[in-house]
Amino acid sequence: MTRPNALQEKSVKKAKTPLKVVAGQEADTQPAPSDLDKIAPELSGMLRVLTCGSVDDGKSTLIGRLLWDATDLYDDQRETLKRGKTVDGGNPDFSLLMDGLVAEREQGITIDIAWRYFDTASRRIVVIDSPGHEQYTRNMASGASHADVAILLIDARHGIKKQTRRHAAILDLVGVKRVILVVNKMDLVDWSESAFRKIEADFETFSWRFGFWEATAIPTAAVSGDNVAAASTHMPWYTGPTLLQHLEQLPSRVTEPSGPFRFPVQTVLRDSRNDFRGLAGTVSGGSVRVGETVVDALSKRTAKVLRIATMDGDFDQASQGQAVAIQLDTDIDVARGAVLSKADSRPVVARVVDARMVWLSETPYDPRGSYLLRTATDLTPVSNLKIQALLDLETLESHPAEACSTNDIAIGEIALARPAAIDTFGEAPETGSFMLVDAITGASIAGGVVTAAKPEAALADENTFVLSRAMLERGLNTDLRDLPGSEAEFRRRANEVALILRSAGINVEIESAPDYSI
Amino acid sequence: MRAAQPPESERDARMTQAISHLDLLEAESIHIFREAAAQFRKPVLLYSIGKDSTVLLHLARKAFWPGKLPFPTLHIDTGWKFREMIEFRDKTARDFDLDLIVHTNEDGRAKGINPIDYAPSVYTDVMKTVPLKQALDKYAFDAAFGGARRDEEASRAKERVFSFRAEGHRWDPRRQRPEMWRLLNGRLGAGETVRVFPLSNWTERDVWRYILREKLDVVPLYFAKERPTIIRNGQLLMKDDERLTVKAGEEIVNRRVRFRTLGCYPLTAAVESDADTIETVVAETLGARTSERQGRLIDHDQAGAMEKKKQEGYF
Repeated sequence: MTRPNALQEKSVKKAKTPLKVVAGQEADTQPAPSDLDKIAPELSGMLRVLTCGSVDDGKSTLIGRLLWDATDLYDDQRETLKRGKTVDGGNPDFSLLMDGLVAEREQGITIDIAWRYFDTASRRIVVIDSPGHEQYTRNMASGASHADVAILLIDARHGIKKQTRRHAAILDLVGVKRVILVVNKMDLVDWSESAFRKIEADFETFSWRFGFWEATAIPTAAVSGDNVAAASTHMPWYTGPTLLQHLEQLPSRVTEPSGPFRFPVQTVLRDSRNDFRGLAGTVSGGSVRVGETVVDALSKRTAKVLRIATMDGDFDQASQGQAVAIQLDTDIDVARGAVLSKADSRPVVARVVDARMVWLSETPYDPRGSYLLRTATDLTPVSNLKIQALLDLETLESHPAEACSTNDIAIGEIALARPAAIDTFGEAPETGSFMLVDAITGASIAGGVVTAAKPEAALADENTFVLSRAMLERGLNTDLRDLPGSEAEFRRRANEVALILRSAGINVEIESAPDYSI
Repeated sequence: MRAAQPPESERDARMTQAISHLDLLEAESIHIFREAAAQFRKPVLLYSIGKDSTVLLHLARKAFWPGKLPFPTLHIDTGWKFREMIEFRDKTARDFDLDLIVHTNEDGRAKGINPIDYAPSVYTDVMKTVPLKQALDKYAFDAAFGGARRDEEASRAKERVFSFRAEGHRWDPRRQRPEMWRLLNGRLGAGETVRVFPLSNWTERDVWRYILREKLDVVPLYFAKERPTIIRNGQLLMKDDERLTVKAGEEIVNRRVRFRTLGCYPLTAAVESDADTIETVVAETLGARTSERQGRLIDHDQAGAMEKKKQEGYF
């Protein structure tokens, strides 16, 4: 079976019937579509929402309230709540829904990230609840790496705190592009518009420097439910969406191809009966069509896509997020760890990467330690890991350092024992992020993003073109001088230039910012 | 508030139809299966015959199609499963040409440990947790796929996709590896094994929606039918064979019932229902107002029951 285009087909399918059309089984064997639509409509999207803030800000209460009001709680869970202690004004203690581990219930804190799921009429909402305390920065960072949008929770009485800045910096680091500033406990500031506007303005002032695409502030009172799912009657001055409405309006988890085509090969599938040798993987960026030429960056060998195979039939095209098996027209001996791309936009065959990483392990950095770099599907020995600086998340300044330990955000250079296909995080997030692994214990030591991937050739040969800060400042970026938050835009433009030059076959490096500040 | 502009492609994405959430979940599960199969030396798929296992197996087949499953399947048989479950298991193994291993704790069986006379915690440990560990050790499996989902229960909500177990299969909630982006680190330390949960982000509703969409066969016990039942401790139990004896004051009544989850029959409560097709079951489930584990008697044993069982090695 040949599919025109997966996305087109979905939209057609949605209009007629939520059932998947499988080869050879057409709609005549199925119950009337209208019945199935009612029984089990497939949701048209998914949104992963990180919540960060501390217990004091009422985070668990907010999420509990959201689950409660979205009426997706089961009766036995409701009963558990009703039987439990009550808080202010006789409302159930919604936070009991969230803190799952016994140790957490005993201590009244959230240690680990917890996952919750609920459905609105149109989409699946995945709530990733992360701990707010500073000693759990690592948990927050790992939770944030899965999120499409983050809720930053603020206590209206206290406004923006150091912690809020720290959280925003972590979100930016791991690539969260949308934030919702939930200004909670508005009841305790007499529903004051000026209090809300001040917090909104304060946030704007410091968040400029980050790469957020969108930030929305919503005044709430989670305990009474104001502006959580139902519009508040106490704040007629606020005309924006409730939190739930906003979560339904935000763009769904990205399902459109974006960025250059990347296909990290997971494993090779064989079927001797049909002489099939397929490269199994998930498209991590862009898309590819049958007949197109792809290249394995590491071996530099090229081949044409002969088939895009799945158990549900062949596809004409595979797009970001789809798990498929690609059969090539010639056997170029590609195996796990390879990254297929188009010839004109390849990942860097890197021997050295500059990185920002969250130190996850309780074991501090050891200059003589044995580390491995896990990228999309490759695991590469690290020949040298050098910590250069630590980022102060509250001031966003970096300070030269040679040591780092749990919860630190480190800036460093990773030299690899053999080349690996790597991108910068800004260009292709899935092939530009990594975990640092302890070679002996297997533990995940740090998680990070690649800020520069340096090709093997650059080490030996002088043909690498360096886009220097001075050069970029003079022409391309003169309009950015002294503007607050200009670094993100500076970086974006530099990445774009580098992408164009790399497409033209030129080895390019971007000189990194001198003081490492964002 | 102001907004830096998202790139062109992102703005376009708002205009177009998104892929359904089931497509996203399916792709994620396939990705997890392939990562685990590539990273672990000797994985096994824990097959427990129920609806979650049915979906799990289907996704595994998709992940490695057109090849065969590159690992065996393992069923821990307590000897107290519904008879229809065992028939379904054997048919499934034949239909999909599975390499099926069935393992029972023979020592526990010889000692007569059963779900009727023993406390659920004792029975579960001896006939489920212990034999699972026995089988994993016997065949030296370093990774086991399971159908657990984060929406099932509070301690599961914090579970990782790759859940590491120390020597002796112990689960330490404080020593789990952080997972970031789509990266899965499966490098094992000395004595470590891992449980892999490809359905982590699925909900009960998704499982049913997917069974409907993919037209998967499930054990007939999920569908309403007249079955011989008794009421014990306020729960409806099916008398599947003569080992469940009727106590004074109880009587066997044929009721039209079905099961929301499947396990050992004396520990699995039925619900009265008329839903006898996949469509009506799904409709009933989607409107259900109690979480499915309500039907599992072992979870009511004590506060934090699941967390404790998991620390001892239960799935």
